[in-house]
Amino acid sequence: MSGAGVGEGGAGAAPAPAGYLDWNGAAGLLARAHDAGLFALVIGPKGTGKTTLVREFARARAARLDSINFSLRTRESHLVGSKTLEGGSVGFDEGLLVRSMREGGILYLDEINAAEADVLLRLDEALDDRRQIVLKESDGSTVAAAAGWFVVATINPLTHVGTKELPPQLLSRFPVRIRLEYPPPDAESEIVRRHLAASGAGGIGDADLSRGIELANTLRQAAAVEELEYAPSLRETISYARLVGGGMGAGAAAEAVFGNVYAQWGGLEFQKAADVISSMFGPAGGGGDGGGAA
Amino acid sequence: MGPREAAETAAALPEVGPDGLVEIGTFLARRWSGRPRATVEFTDRGHARTAPAGNGRIIVPRQGRLRGDGLQKYRQFRASVWRESMRLSLCGRILSDDHAFGFILNAIESRRVEALGRRRWPGMDPELAFSQTCRWMDRPLLGSVYGRARLVEGFYQHFAFGGVKGEAASNQLDRIARASAAASAALGRALDEGLGTEWVEGEVPGIIRTLGIDSLLTVPVALPWSRPALAISADDLRRALPRALRSREGMFGRVDPEEAAGGDAVRPEYEALAGRGGGGGGGGRRGRRAAADAAAGPGGGGGAEAPWITEPQRTDVDETAIYDRDLIAGLKRRFKEWKSGWSEAHVESGGDEFDAEAHVDGHAPFLADSRRSVRARAAILLDHSSSVASVQSEYKKAALALCEVLAYLRVPFSAYAFSTADRAVMCWQVKSGGQRWNSACAKRLAQIQANGSTPLADVYARMMPALGSGGRPDVLLTLTDGEPSDPDAVRSAIRAFRAAGTSMAAIGFGPDTVRATAIASNLKGLGYDRTLAVSRLGDIPGRALAVIGGGGRGR
Repeated sequence: MSGAGVGEGGAGAAPAPAGYLDWNGAAGLLARAHDAGLFALVIGPKGTGKTTLVREFARARAARLDSINFSLRTRESHLVGSKTLEGGSVGFDEGLLVRSMREGGILYLDEINAAEADVLLRLDEALDDRRQIVLKESDGSTVAAAAGWFVVATINPLTHVGTKELPPQLLSRFPVRIRLEYPPPDAESEIVRRHLAASGAGGIGDADLSRGIELANTLRQAAAVEELEYAPSLRETISYARLVGGGMGAGAAAEAVFGNVYAQWGGLEFQKAADVISSMFGPAGGGGDGGGAA
Repeated sequence: MGPREAAETAAALPEVGPDGLVEIGTFLARRWSGRPRATVEFTDRGHARTAPAGNGRIIVPRQGRLRGDGLQKYRQFRASVWRESMRLSLCGRILSDDHAFGFILNAIESRRVEALGRRRWPGMDPELAFSQTCRWMDRPLLGSVYGRARLVEGFYQHFAFGGVKGEAASNQLDRIARASAAASAALGRALDEGLGTEWVEGEVPGIIRTLGIDSLLTVPVALPWSRPALAISADDLRRALPRALRSREGMFGRVDPEEAAGGDAVRPEYEALAGRGGGGGGGGRRGRRAAADAAAGPGGGGGAEAPWITEPQRTDVDETAIYDRDLIAGLKRRFKEWKSGWSEAHVESGGDEFDAEAHVDGHAPFLADSRRSVRARAAILLDHSSSVASVQSEYKKAALALCEVLAYLRVPFSAYAFSTADRAVMCWQVKSGGQRWNSACAKRLAQIQANGSTPLADVYARMMPALGSGGRPDVLLTLTDGEPSDPDAVRSAIRAFRAAGTSMAAIGFGPDTVRATAIASNLKGLGYDRTLAVSRLGDIPGRALAVIGGGGRGR
């Protein structure tokens, strides 16, 4: 089901996160927002660790985490619930929003600015100071949020396809705004190493890792001034490191992870990225210090 | 692909045109140097260098001045851009090569930045080895250099290549060898101890004393085109490579001569550039001539290859000055649904909420996809008369944002501008119809200076045959801020365009609403299909896109 939520059942049931490196104080700010009872909005491009931040925070607080991924096809029924017909009787299946409110855990609204305005306005009802929602779809009863209920939402920049501006009234429900950007090289290197350690992947040499990160940053800078169509994220750096850790040559891994994606925008776009890669790693498949333990 | 087949393919491809070179060269220079405003320009005089003054101007020889086939020329160009990018990035000071002091400092700095740059860009090794070999082959015999300049040339060859070409007097050779040894020692220490340009500069007077020359001695322009267009055979390269790399044994020790000669790492890039639209996106003279001869070109007003429409030629223009990133990003956000061509919307009759019963009864989806895209081929004409001069920076930003967004939306378009230069009306081609929008087009727009009157009829008359040569545009949009100097002739020209099937639109812009409205009223009287008034320059792209998106006829 599009826009379906995922209950992660508290710290025990959640997959072990790689461990969030709080390089810019985002985790600290999120904790302060939680303690003050203020909902938080995390803003940043794809692959900057927004979801990891929230997961790690929930794990650290041993709180139940419910997640909803928003898209244009997310409907109110996904949030609030829908009627059911079982054995001749009409029932009501509560949606994730209502369940999370009743249980008082952490509700994670991912890519909230991808949803339609009418869905967001229904959400707005639950997020105001009263922290309650009227189940007009069911019996008209009012559900009040349990004490400690906390909501974190993330938005991607408006340049991303499928995003739209949040209505101002909804924006104001998230008074704490946390910006996440791509981390500086040292922090990115540490993040990648933590991911490799958590996933049990092979190690990567310092030279190969720093070169991969440098390449990612070079491509990000080009994308920032619109000389390339796409900016690689932390996910790409981690994937590159995992391939190299698995024994693949650094040049070939860089081409597969960072380079080939540009082919969809045409030969020249691809060649621009390939040229940066080849001047850093040599001809395709070459370069690298062969992975292995750092 | 075997060496023979690869050579045949390279020979079959046209050379990369100036547009292609400017685009890829600028892109690479900015990535390699980390200087976001670096530019690449071409020269007929001298070797590759970085301008001592200026915001990152890299100057490289024109392709016609280099030896070898298209691929070999492109490889020399690319290596030169890399080396100068490293200079931009790592040199604290760049002096002119015209006198001995600057020449010697730059020679040492070239090797220093090359060594430092290779640590970050080790994949350049085969290309640098190839470039080094070509540079060695281009150096003159010492016997052909006269006067004390022979000592400077000898020093350069000995220091850069580990040996000299030709003969010189023994006392001269002795001085050359000692100066080269001193320079190598200084280079080694600078690299070992992380010393910069300032320290290296302090070593140059000692080298000059060893050579026994004046530090202001004029150094003759080195001629890299001693044998232009002459192919470099694999045998030539094999013979020259070991000699050219004598001084770099430690640096290029791992370079395979075959790899350096073949250029396999660069070949796909060269083929992509050279194969694109006949030598660089229609930018090359040969490519454009071929396009004109074929009288064919996909969309957007076609290849306006007419002698009365010219292209601005300078490449040393910093186009980033007219980029308004916020305006462009805002427009892309606003029109992003046009890019995919599909927009999703909830069916209004379905109400706000998905209702299972209604869905079952009516079989009506609560979401619907609708097609939304621009199908018109557009041509844009930008008024650069003198009345625009006071706001030309903002005006160019708006025009460039419009072009960027049209390219983003993949709308086939061509762009022209008119102004007066040397008391003659000039019609400039910023982008032809078949060409891809790139930084070279932005550079053309950036260098047009607003001047002169508004001779619209004359400009339309020039554009008429050019636009007709390769697929007439569906809509011709004119951006102007003044009344045409020849209204009756303009009326007639507009009628001619309309009769040929082109919808005519105009946007009149002025400093305030009253003036903009007055201009638009005048334009309306000329017979345009659509006329709009804009008082804020930043609104131009949005209005223009609305005209092109809604006013053009479907193909």
